[in-house]
Amino acid sequence: MRFRGWIPLVLLTVLILAVGAFTAVRQDAFLTEYNINNLLLSTMPLALVAIGQTNALLVGGFDISVAALVTMCVVTASFTLKPDETTFALFLGSLAIVGVGLATGVFNATLIRILRLPSIIATLGTFSILEGASLLLRDHPEGPINADVIDALNTSIGVMPAAFIGVVVLAVLADVWLYRTRTGTAIRAVGLDEISSRRLGMSTGRIVFLAFVVCAVFASIAGFYSAAQVQIGSPIIGDYALTSIAAAVLGGASLAGGRGSFVGTLLAAFFLSLISNILPLFQQPTEYAQMTIGALILLALVLYQAPELIARFRSGRQTVGRLRTREGDAPAA
Amino acid sequence: MSTPGPESPVVLSLGGVSKAFGAVQALRDVSFDCRPGEVHALVGENGSGKSTLLGIASGFLAPDKGFVEIGGRRRRRGSPAEARRFGLGIAYQTYSHVLDLSVAENLYLAVPGNERPAYGRMETWAASTLEEFGLDVSVKASAGTLSLVQRQLLEVVKSLLARPKVLLLDEPTTALGPQEVEQLHALVRGRSSAGVGIVYVSHRLPEVLGIADRISVLRDGVSQGTFEAAGMTEDALVALMIGRPLQLAFPERDGDGRVPEALLEVSGLRGDRFGPIDLKVEKGEILGIAGAEGNGQVQFLRALAGVERSEGRASCDGDELNSKSPLAALRAGVVLLSGDRTRDSLFPVLSVRTNTTIQVLASLARLGFLRRRRERRTVDDMVRRLRVRLASIEQPVQSLSGGNQQKVSLTRPFLRGDVKVILAEEPTQGVDVGARFDIYEALRAKANEGVALVVKSSDPLELAGLCDRVVVMSRGKIVDEIRGDELGERRIVEAIVGGGVARANA
Repeated sequence: MRFRGWIPLVLLTVLILAVGAFTAVRQDAFLTEYNINNLLLSTMPLALVAIGQTNALLVGGFDISVAALVTMCVVTASFTLKPDETTFALFLGSLAIVGVGLATGVFNATLIRILRLPSIIATLGTFSILEGASLLLRDHPEGPINADVIDALNTSIGVMPAAFIGVVVLAVLADVWLYRTRTGTAIRAVGLDEISSRRLGMSTGRIVFLAFVVCAVFASIAGFYSAAQVQIGSPIIGDYALTSIAAAVLGGASLAGGRGSFVGTLLAAFFLSLISNILPLFQQPTEYAQMTIGALILLALVLYQAPELIARFRSGRQTVGRLRTREGDAPAA
Repeated sequence: MSTPGPESPVVLSLGGVSKAFGAVQALRDVSFDCRPGEVHALVGENGSGKSTLLGIASGFLAPDKGFVEIGGRRRRRGSPAEARRFGLGIAYQTYSHVLDLSVAENLYLAVPGNERPAYGRMETWAASTLEEFGLDVSVKASAGTLSLVQRQLLEVVKSLLARPKVLLLDEPTTALGPQEVEQLHALVRGRSSAGVGIVYVSHRLPEVLGIADRISVLRDGVSQGTFEAAGMTEDALVALMIGRPLQLAFPERDGDGRVPEALLEVSGLRGDRFGPIDLKVEKGEILGIAGAEGNGQVQFLRALAGVERSEGRASCDGDELNSKSPLAALRAGVVLLSGDRTRDSLFPVLSVRTNTTIQVLASLARLGFLRRRRERRTVDDMVRRLRVRLASIEQPVQSLSGGNQQKVSLTRPFLRGDVKVILAEEPTQGVDVGARFDIYEALRAKANEGVALVVKSSDPLELAGLCDRVVVMSRGKIVDEIRGDELGERRIVEAIVGGGVARANA
């Protein structure tokens, strides 16, 4: 990883520590075992969706459908993870939820890779379909989720939810994969320059396809943790599409593809949850959370680009418009 | 990779390959083969289908008809990965570097699985590989920071990493100086004597004659035959490359607007891929820029229009052209007609009317409101004058044919009264023969009004017929100037294929 890759990680760590310390000093309710455990658990859905989203961003795409997919999985859970089911039935029910994610992922990837739709449009369509389907299945919150499943998902070691430890390990391993293996380098190469990657003999189609499937599967796992929070088949779950893109970008992902960090995404997801967690402690309306997050994203983007901007000013190199072309790519010329 | 199979007499074989891009037939029933240990050169003019043929051989493009065999194995599904597995290496003219990754990572991605070092040893391995090829670049640098020479050599190194049985080199010397060309040729000879079949694509005939065993010639997507290099001369090759009887009509060079007074003056202008260039274009003159693709012609033209950065001096009618701003160039009266009209100059979904008048709306408005009737009259006039074929001026530009789109983009300099210099980049690219004459006539009419024109074209016939004078660019510099009675298609082609090397060796 080159130096600029560390900027988001450092910035987010500093921000989390600063906001945490500030709150801890002023609000006794913050550093309680209950609140920290709750904060970490409430980070889970966003963390998982955002880690999935990072895959889509790495190959230069977006997945908007994750918002509705999480909802769909919660609604599905209210049918397949009912109270008083046998363990085996619950196991099958869980598979069904992951199956919804897998199917959605394959559907998205087919639209994007085989039918060549822009990912933002394709997943917007899927978003709408899934949202409608969720409302069809549950037009208002009903159908409690099995309490044993919720307890299992929320299992904690001290204040630390087991799932959170899992997601930290996952993010670290994923970053090692991304920056220290051939397949990781290949996925970045595809995001950076698809034509060159194909020329180098990579199966660019398969890589992009898989990225969207993985993204959707992560969203469906996020559905479990979301279900554990709302505990009922609710057709109105928070909007994870934009927040997950925000988390990935804050964590260092580039909207143009090829750049990003899973650890960064996780830190950013945690930071965004932290903001939402502390505002009620200060008796501030949650609307401020939204505004703060928006402002921070803009600030972060400017900061992350700083090295490039400085370099550009120094060398005085500036391309005007987008007129530079890659000569000779026009096949008939 | 485990079964090389019985030794095949050819390492690459293409049979009856055809390929069309839309209405353009890029290749028509072409067969081509390469034997182990030979250098088989492929020559042809720009657009004759060389790159398409390589694209098909390497699996990047799928042929409409015909087959490809690599090392005796028939290709099923075209993919670069499969071609590489079968033993084909290729150095692309436009490279295959991922510019944001490091040199080491780029090399690493180019090696097939069984040759790949452990990820942790990547940089050490990359450094020793580069040393082996005598390429002195830092493996940690990102590929985007390399010079063009380094990028070109790195591309060749990458193509050799998989130890291919057949190696395709697409214009491998465009960025190289004479010394590097020698270095590269030594490398190529070394590989061919080790039994690798080499397909060498180049427009530089002296280089080709110097290294090839056999030469195949393509013209307009049709093979003109394969010849032993030993008995070939540059003259004979040029004749095969151009030899088309078709004559196009061109407007009279009546020299009406010709005033021996320099309008566009360029001195010591240099930028990315070109320079230093000194040039003067007179009032009413049409100057042609010839050269093989990728020798800095486009960059030079765009630098004059302020679209690309440059250093040095350029002025139009005494006004200094600011190299940073297209707007300053426009104000000085310099208009660029981009070769990529749908991307750079037209708004494809907007109507012909809007596209025509968008730069001169102020002159058609009163109190800030457009006078629609006057606008329509203006557009109708232009449509008639340039013979744009359309159903209605409200039609979106994207629904017109390529030639008519080009005419619409040509209307703009006609409507602006203040144009002094027109820079036209491939004004008839993708334009059918009938529409070409209308465009030539429109350009000549503008010259007769006293405008200076610079036309960059890859078609020597067009330059010979349209221009008053033609300069030939090679490796970013002007290497030849052709005017008067000398000005002919053959003379231009000879300058393109011979000029760069002749000058470099002198």
